[in-house]
Amino acid sequence: MLKAQAHSISRKLTWMNMLVSSAALLLACAAFIAYDMVTFRETKVLNLSTQAQIIGSNTVSALLFGDPQSAENTLSALKAAPNILSAGIYTPDGRLFASYLRDPAGQIPALPSMPSGQTEIHWLKNKEIVLVRSIVFQGKPTGTVYIRSDVEELHRRLKRYAGIAAMVLSACLMAALLISSVFRKALADPIVRLAEVARVVSRDKNYSVRATPTRSPGELAILIDAFNEMLAQIQQSERALRMAHDELEQRVRERTAELEAAKKEVEEFSHSILLAKEEVERGSKFKDQFLSTMSHELRTPLNAVLGFSDLLADERYGPLNERQQRYVSHIHTGGKHLLSLISDILDLSKIEAGRMELAIESLRVETVFGEVLSAMQPLADKKSQEMTKSVEAGLSVRADSTRFKQVLMNLLGNAIKFTPSGGRIGVAARLVEDRVRVDVRDNGPGIPPEEQKRIFEAFYRLRESGKKTEGTGLGLAITHRLVELHGGELSLDSEIGQGSCFHFCLPVAAGRREPPSAKIELCQRSAVPARILVIEDDRAAAQLIQSQLTSAGYEAILCDRPQDALEMATEFRPSAITLDIVMKPKNGWEILTQLKRDPRTAQIPIIVVSIVDHPSMGALLGADEYLVKPVDRATLLAAIERRVNSRPASASARPILIVEDDTPAREFIAEMLTARGYAVTAVADGAQARAQVASSLPDLVILDLVLPEVSGFELLGEWRASPRTADLPVFILTSMDLTKEEQSYLRAHAESLFRKQEPWQEELLKQLERAVLLATPEKV
Amino acid sequence: MYRANQTFGRRAKIQRHVCPASRCRVLQFLTLIIAWVLFMATDLPAQQPKPGEYQVKAAYLYNFGRFVKWPAGVAAGKGDSFAVCVLGQDPFGMILDSTLAGEALDGKPVVIRRIARSQDAADCRILFVSSTEEHHLKEILAAIDQAGVLTVSDIPGFSRRGGIIQFIAEGDRVRFEINLASAESARLVLSSELLKVAAAVRRSPQSGD
Repeated sequence: MLKAQAHSISRKLTWMNMLVSSAALLLACAAFIAYDMVTFRETKVLNLSTQAQIIGSNTVSALLFGDPQSAENTLSALKAAPNILSAGIYTPDGRLFASYLRDPAGQIPALPSMPSGQTEIHWLKNKEIVLVRSIVFQGKPTGTVYIRSDVEELHRRLKRYAGIAAMVLSACLMAALLISSVFRKALADPIVRLAEVARVVSRDKNYSVRATPTRSPGELAILIDAFNEMLAQIQQSERALRMAHDELEQRVRERTAELEAAKKEVEEFSHSILLAKEEVERGSKFKDQFLSTMSHELRTPLNAVLGFSDLLADERYGPLNERQQRYVSHIHTGGKHLLSLISDILDLSKIEAGRMELAIESLRVETVFGEVLSAMQPLADKKSQEMTKSVEAGLSVRADSTRFKQVLMNLLGNAIKFTPSGGRIGVAARLVEDRVRVDVRDNGPGIPPEEQKRIFEAFYRLRESGKKTEGTGLGLAITHRLVELHGGELSLDSEIGQGSCFHFCLPVAAGRREPPSAKIELCQRSAVPARILVIEDDRAAAQLIQSQLTSAGYEAILCDRPQDALEMATEFRPSAITLDIVMKPKNGWEILTQLKRDPRTAQIPIIVVSIVDHPSMGALLGADEYLVKPVDRATLLAAIERRVNSRPASASARPILIVEDDTPAREFIAEMLTARGYAVTAVADGAQARAQVASSLPDLVILDLVLPEVSGFELLGEWRASPRTADLPVFILTSMDLTKEEQSYLRAHAESLFRKQEPWQEELLKQLERAVLLATPEKV
Repeated sequence: MYRANQTFGRRAKIQRHVCPASRCRVLQFLTLIIAWVLFMATDLPAQQPKPGEYQVKAAYLYNFGRFVKWPAGVAAGKGDSFAVCVLGQDPFGMILDSTLAGEALDGKPVVIRRIARSQDAADCRILFVSSTEEHHLKEILAAIDQAGVLTVSDIPGFSRRGGIIQFIAEGDRVRFEINLASAESARLVLSSELLKVAAAVRRSPQSGD
């Protein structure tokens, strides 16, 4: 394309040259020929005219004397002029007088009329010139000469001219070609080369090429120079651009590398942070675990200590002498102190670690105050102190129930502790702006100002108190922190001898919230004739029991081979089992243990009917009833009926399932309940509890949360999910530290929640009594 | 002739409106030819009858005068007019008068004189000797010798006998012979043109016959 264009430039130049020269030449030729033709014709006409004159004057006498011969002689002289076709002499009256014909076959045309006043006319016609001239002799018209000449010569001339013109033209064209080739060299070639260079530049982006400079000065040289200069500039700027680009690239590369390095650093850093975080999390998890374990592991044995020392103090299993009683009391007091110390330390460390979670809810101040005062009343009573409360009607706060109570108990406990006997202690709550201000006031000795600042520090005790006081020294510190956690501040107003007033503010609750009422319903069950397995190797005794059962409508299956007892129990899945103790080769304790340990049979109520009077052993091993022979029919059937038909309705022996993995604790709870006449089934882990509930529904479950394998949460969840057990009353008794979520979950799904780190026995028994009373109104 | 041509020219103009130019030219030309033919056909019968012998001779007399130069001295002695004289019985009658009436020769008006005696012929420029004077020819010629008179006659043998121009008949045509020697002796210069058309020119002064 560019080649074609380049060619077209030189071709155009050539064409231009040739066209211009041809046109000029043709015009010149035409002008010349035209001029020549005109001149030629004029000459011709002049010649003819001259000839006509000569002829005329030479033929005057012939005309005058009527001698055509003479005239013809004169005319015949025209032979010398080959272009004369014909000639004629006419008399004045128009008659042909003499004539001459070059071609004998020709003819003389008639004489045209001569316009008056003219002596000569001529015209050009059919390649001929005709001239007519009148002959005048001595002023008189004597005749007319007619002469006709061909213009063959004119045509020859034209042809010759055309030939010459063609030759000249072709020579001119050749010359034009030559000249244009010169021009091409001088004009087109530099342009073509320039175009080629431009093409190369635009195609290859190669700015280093240069157009060849032309030698001839002028616009073309300027153009080429300018082009080259432009190229140089482009090359330069392109080089600069490329350098900048390279530099930029280099910089980008460096930056990228830097960025990558930085990224790597960041990644490493974030990785290390992640590791550190994991470390911290692990640490904190470990700490949590430690706290939880501590709280559990420390409290569990303490509970046993406290529980059994309590039992001992009850002198239930024999009277204690005065010293024994004192020692037991010491054990109990020491244990309690230790327990509260542990609880306080754990609480404090939890607060310090920021892991104390609050389950904030709306609480009726009146209710909380009532509960706390009733709990503290015995202490105040011991010192004959008067305790009063003053609450604005319907006042509610937003607080964590447990912690709020704890705060109040701590403050009240302190007040009771430091106020002399017969003092007055008051707790008051009122609305101040949008907060509830709680005051705990006493009329004790007061706290000196220098100690007021330090009173909230941990392990600080009032020096002034002097005498030996119970307490860990942590109570106020914990209280202070708990109030802070609730968004308030614990403050103290005190003057020596004027008493003290601890006060704090909590957010007021918009509405009142009824405390969740214990939802313990009577579980009605129809009296279904049940199958009873009688394990008795003594035939007579077996027959007696069988007949007694059968007569009451039960289906009695006898197992007189103690070694088959488990197998049969598994096979027949009886509603209850009567079990003898003294048997061979396997005694009843063994069978009892076996049955209670086997999940398939653990839930089957076992009524020990034995000569051996050892009910606590039976209870410990999981026996549901313990009857000592001889057993009358009514007693046996009552026991059976309790276990089989209407266990919940039974008031005399309430079957309560205790799920507790710590053996001393389990034993203690069982003992405590049994002592109060409740029927108790105790299991050590979640699996057993699950099996027990599946086989026979207990009236109520006291559930520990920390259990091996299956946790208390899992059990509760399962039971609530099943329609059969959805309404089973469950009391949670745990030493576990609960999160907010766990607390709310338990509150929603369990009837009551007791913490081992607090005094729980009294409350548990009270709740239990109420629950069973609710459940068995007709039996009272 | 002119009239007819005009008429036909008008016709040709009319035709020009209906034909292409080249053809028209041909037609015009044809029309001219036809005009000529018609002219001949119509005019010839209308022309005067063929001129009589003496009518031609009268014209010749005048034409001779145009081709002959008289020496200045001679011409001056001949008076203010150019006299054409007829000696003897006049064969022309009124023809000569009508032919020469109003004409001028050698710059002088032509007058016609009829004379009876050769002595009267001295101041004539052209002297026609009638055939009636054949017998006196010798005396006549001698009388006017060297008088600068152009002698013309249709007497046979006139030029041979000393006359200058002698009419001869050649069929229908009137021709003449010239005796150049006689002319020279009469001091007359005859134009070569005249000699050219002469049927014969004698150069010797006198022939033997």
